[in-house]
Amino acid sequence: MTKRKRSVALLMSFILVATSFGGFLGASGAGAQDRETLVFGINAADIGNLDPHYASATQDRAIVDMVFNGLVRFVPGTVSELEPDIAAEMPTATENEDGTQTWTVALRDDVMCQPSSETEAYQLTSADVVFSLQKAASDDTSNYASAYAGWTVEAVDDQTIEITVETPVSDALFLPTIANYSGGFIICQQPFEALGADGFITNPVGTGPFMFQEYTPQNSVVLAANDDYFRGAPALSGVEVRFIADGTTRELALQSGELHVAAGLPEAQWADRVSEQEGVVVDVFGVGEVLFLNINTTIEPFDDPLVREAIMLAISREGHIALSGAPVGEAVYSPVPAQLMEGGLTEEEATEADVNYEQDTARAMELLAEAGYEDGFEIDLVTSEMDSYRLNYEVLADELRQIGVTVNLEVVQHAAMHELIRQDENALTFYVAYRPNADVYLSQFFTEEGGVTNFSKYDVSDLVEEARATTDSAEQAELWKQANINLQQDFAGYGILLVNQVYARQDTVDYGHELNAVINLYPGIDETTSISGD
Amino acid sequence: MAQASIAGAGSAGQNGAPNISLVSQRTRAWRTFRRNKSALFGLGMIVLVIAIAVLAPLLAPYDPIVQDTVNRLERPSSEHWLGLDHFGRDVLSRIIYGTQVALIIGIASVALGGVLGTAMGIVAGYFGGRISSLIMRVVDILLSFPDLITGLLVVAVLGTGMTKLIIAIGLTIAPRFARIAYGPTLSVKEKEFVEAARALGQRTRIILSRHILPNVAGELLVLASLWTAQAIRLEASLSFVGLGVQPPTPTWGQMIRDGTVYLTNFPLLAIAPGVALLFTVFAFNLVGDGLRDVLDPKSK
Repeated sequence: MTKRKRSVALLMSFILVATSFGGFLGASGAGAQDRETLVFGINAADIGNLDPHYASATQDRAIVDMVFNGLVRFVPGTVSELEPDIAAEMPTATENEDGTQTWTVALRDDVMCQPSSETEAYQLTSADVVFSLQKAASDDTSNYASAYAGWTVEAVDDQTIEITVETPVSDALFLPTIANYSGGFIICQQPFEALGADGFITNPVGTGPFMFQEYTPQNSVVLAANDDYFRGAPALSGVEVRFIADGTTRELALQSGELHVAAGLPEAQWADRVSEQEGVVVDVFGVGEVLFLNINTTIEPFDDPLVREAIMLAISREGHIALSGAPVGEAVYSPVPAQLMEGGLTEEEATEADVNYEQDTARAMELLAEAGYEDGFEIDLVTSEMDSYRLNYEVLADELRQIGVTVNLEVVQHAAMHELIRQDENALTFYVAYRPNADVYLSQFFTEEGGVTNFSKYDVSDLVEEARATTDSAEQAELWKQANINLQQDFAGYGILLVNQVYARQDTVDYGHELNAVINLYPGIDETTSISGD
Repeated sequence: MAQASIAGAGSAGQNGAPNISLVSQRTRAWRTFRRNKSALFGLGMIVLVIAIAVLAPLLAPYDPIVQDTVNRLERPSSEHWLGLDHFGRDVLSRIIYGTQVALIIGIASVALGGVLGTAMGIVAGYFGGRISSLIMRVVDILLSFPDLITGLLVVAVLGTGMTKLIIAIGLTIAPRFARIAYGPTLSVKEKEFVEAARALGQRTRIILSRHILPNVAGELLVLASLWTAQAIRLEASLSFVGLGVQPPTPTWGQMIRDGTVYLTNFPLLAIAPGVALLFTVFAFNLVGDGLRDVLDPKSK
């Protein structure tokens, strides 16, 4: 063998050995490689804010839900049951002699704060929880501070905290505020302080089953599996959330297999049609966002109850529901939806209370004539360009046209509409929202406490305060129902419909739980979510 | 423009005298135009579009804004030839009424942009100096933006609505007219008849309107016909992005935008108004090309 041949043989041997090692190393990592990354097409152009205490848009809520935990959590796929999350067990309350109430929360000892670009992973302690709840309670660092007003949060030891509230509240009001939603998401102190509030907007660090990995503006957010997750390593290697604002594009991407999960159109026809495609499953589930009408009771001519009643009688719930179609759209009979929470009115209760207004155009015109508007009148309204608003405003404009009221509709950007309606630009304001309980719906939209979002300038504070003061859930629900009756009797607000969530997925995707309702407005992707082999 | 020309010179009449006939420049232009089959076809299409717009209340089978949400997205039938849209409104009726909006905006915005731009171009060309520099630099800046961007900027400032849209598109178009009017004005102002008019003490306004304008009008007319098509397309584009005429007024751009949501299952909702838009824009382009061949053959 010549020297040159020996060299070649040596090189070949080295390549063979290296290849064998490569194969071996590859095999050792097969556990991780076998897992797939779930690609999720969401109906948005970009993120807003991934600090969970500010996250309010659907895409933001979905992402932070995968990254963070609450002290307790809604049982996956439901909104009616809560279970411990970071808490070791469900918190208990004790009434204090000074009239306050203290909730004691014991923490799990195996919860790890995820590593970040600036910090190492470390065990979550009560100091992190106290920091997070104090952040959630501050107007300077949270959008949800009002829910935590009057709270004192203290660490008893490394694994126990105490929350003292000025006025005793029921489980139904307290537990959702420490659940995996809005201000209830727990932020680890060290990464937040290291990244800063601005850094956290695009680089969230929590304790959940997935860790933030990469953000490409107007394109995607990539999350990686958190194998140190306290409930066990996720079945997925990660989740890629792609921002695809166009419904047709999402549908085609799902058909081609580019997406595993896609946000659908909130229409029954779409759900029926797409579910007929081979290998695709469409899920229709809660929580539905409620569309309700607010009539400004202080602006002419709506300061006249006859005019407000005429508006109510011009509206056809069926006409609005038809935009979505059942089961995507469901009727609600008060701004608080009885299907989703205590305190809302069922059809029977609304009918019994005489606040279930059926469309009656002739009677509406009589009422307008009685109020001195036999020739109708003209109003200017602004609407968001988002379909959930624009389509309903256009239907409203047609309904009002039938009773002689001309609506000059101006379509503006979504953020502009929110700004304008808070300046009382609209005498008739549609609002589309989900809120976790009746107290939030009523206080935000129908009390002075609601401030600029009290679009009707109607006040049911007495009933809301009374409901807060009682720890008897049944009595509380009755008080909320009475508030709903009052505001509809005085034609200040009117529940019209709720629109459920519609998502399509490849039939290989298993969310790991039944889908009845998810508070964060997406199917709920966690450590149990998996993709089976194609 | 009533200058006469001698046609048929050299051919002998029955009495042996030359057969001389006076043919106006306008008649000669029309004859040239008439020989252009494409242009003539385009003119026929425009007449049809105008007829549809004028006769919309008679032609449309239904009120274009009346909703029937319960029967929304109903497929084409003998009752609704093009089906019902997502509000249950008759699509055919909305396309027919949409013709009115397209023509009003197309013609009015070109008229506005034409008058404004032509005035700017002629004034800049005639006076020269600092006035010319100022006007033409503004024109250059405006021309550096794509039409849609300029339209979006103006709409963002003025707001939405038909009148504001006409102003927005008119302002988008105006620099084109200014640029076209400027060049010929520079050469026409040096002609003897303009100098004669000045020597006779005619007012500047008279010189500009009676001596300069008629001599640059040909190219402007070509531009107007071509830009009517562009204005209609621009209106559709602005409506498509939600900044056009406000609902429930039927516009083709808005209809295409709404129809794209149902592109996979009910493509007719987007395609039908798209065809109407294509037909109208094509018609104006054909006529514009024909006019260019007649009035401005050098730029062909």
